[in-house]
Amino acid sequence: MAELKKVIKLRTVISASTGMAIATSCYVAGLQVATILVGELAWISILVAGFFCLLSALCFSELTALYPTAAGIKLFIHHAFSEKTSIVIGMFYVLLGISMVGAESYLISSVLSSVFSIINPFYDKLLWTVVFILFIMAINFRGVFLSGLMQDIMTYAMVAFMVGVSVYAFATIDINFSLAAKSAKFTLENVMQAAAVGVFLYVGFEWVAPLAEETTDYKTIGKGMLWAVGLLSVTYSMFIVAMYSGLTTAQLESGTPIPHILFGKNLFGAAGLATFAVMSILASLTSFNTGILNTSRFAYAMGRDNVLPRAFSRLHPLYATPWVAILFLGTFAIAISLATLLTDMYFFVIIMAAALECFIYVVAALCVIRLRKKKPDMERSFKVPFGIVIPVVVIVVFGLLMLGIFTDVTRDYSGRELFSNYWVAVVMAIFLVCMYAYTSLVVPVYKKRAAERAQTRVKRRPGKA
Amino acid sequence: MATSQEIMDALADYTVQCNENKRLRKMQRDWSKLIHFNAEDTGDQFTMTVVKGEITSCEPGAKGTPDVIVTAKSEDLCDMFWGDLNPSQKYLQGEIRVKASQEDIVRIDAITMIIWPDS
Repeated sequence: MAELKKVIKLRTVISASTGMAIATSCYVAGLQVATILVGELAWISILVAGFFCLLSALCFSELTALYPTAAGIKLFIHHAFSEKTSIVIGMFYVLLGISMVGAESYLISSVLSSVFSIINPFYDKLLWTVVFILFIMAINFRGVFLSGLMQDIMTYAMVAFMVGVSVYAFATIDINFSLAAKSAKFTLENVMQAAAVGVFLYVGFEWVAPLAEETTDYKTIGKGMLWAVGLLSVTYSMFIVAMYSGLTTAQLESGTPIPHILFGKNLFGAAGLATFAVMSILASLTSFNTGILNTSRFAYAMGRDNVLPRAFSRLHPLYATPWVAILFLGTFAIAISLATLLTDMYFFVIIMAAALECFIYVVAALCVIRLRKKKPDMERSFKVPFGIVIPVVVIVVFGLLMLGIFTDVTRDYSGRELFSNYWVAVVMAIFLVCMYAYTSLVVPVYKKRAAERAQTRVKRRPGKA
Repeated sequence: MATSQEIMDALADYTVQCNENKRLRKMQRDWSKLIHFNAEDTGDQFTMTVVKGEITSCEPGAKGTPDVIVTAKSEDLCDMFWGDLNPSQKYLQGEIRVKASQEDIVRIDAITMIIWPDS
């Protein structure tokens, strides 16, 4: 078979996977990891979470090798379980995934309002939230795509910046690791609890799977995910420890949503504040834009497949972009962002995203096992080694991490209880039940209507009328 | 299985439908691609050239370096070109495979959706 004119190389797969995971909310989540454990030792939990994500990346690599398509997640759940299961889980994943926008837009609006003060903090945040989401919607309507080279430059610049700043911080700040190791908080239980939240730092690395159709070798996606998780592990481990050590106790206790900005200011003054703000905006733009891009295409495909109303498959008459899907997801994102802004509960969304990611890793590992049984002879350009040992480990570990999240309590740096995490489980359960009810009650109606339309429609192909 | 001639006949009709649809031409006005279609069960290959939204040629064989590669059973390709099949559904079931950017995948599907909205 001929090869494509334009193909994506490993370098771009790594940058796309890494870029999707790096977002402004990661700094706050990283600080939460440091708060649960001992700040200077946060790297241990980050590396533990990274190692587990690496195992999960192996599962995603096998699934992508089996179904190298943008419809990946729906397709492999469909073949492993059933179409209904794939719709329920696919929509649950996409809709809750877009909720992360709530935390991300809240945090990026906090960054912008700290740099540009216009009215007052609340209205500034409101303004920036709306402007930010509308901007993302506009470029999605217009169908502006980041070229591979641009993606590479932005992501690798962010990684180099974070590593460079960390090295500088380590050279100028006195960090006492041995004293931290003696802390009463440094326990195995806390290491694992922090690792569960640390999973959030890797959210989105698997969203690179839709690029499989643009590569020469499907194994490139698997390799890219593994490299990206490795790169993220090292970068976050260094940066979170440096950031924690570079903040004052008063700044940590304030529960600031912009720790990285304060860290930049402490380190380099006004120049640091501006540079960190720019990096933060870039990180939010790339991750959020990719999020809307992927989810709107998913919603479009669902509309075409008669799972969502047909309106979702409407395309913009000039730019061929799924404008109804973009409008719906953008509006949903604004609603979640406003709720976050009014309640200040951005941690809730972060914890929910970490739990959702654990859930989807468990599903992916289950799919690997099921498909090994159901389709043993189907060609796999990559197979997870050691039989089903690694998928089983992924199911057990991420299942336990998810349970660990649900049974924990989220606290700020000063130990003040913010909320009990079982509420996260409650919200996720409600979402899942809603998706199940929709798939059981509404989807059959759309499917029936589509079948009726197909029956009444005269076939155009000669001899098939 | 559809023969090569059946697919070429379908492609000829598809070309007319696409080129005469003003709405589609407007939407695809800046879309110029070389597309390969592979019938996996018969081994037949076809090359379509699209220049600024207009299909300028459809010929048997795989010619040039493509921007998009569509692989499916010959029957599905034939039905798709006649507008009797929803390519998105087949794609989501893994029965039609496309090698292309996400934007090009949507644009390929858009052709069928605009010409035959009820498909």
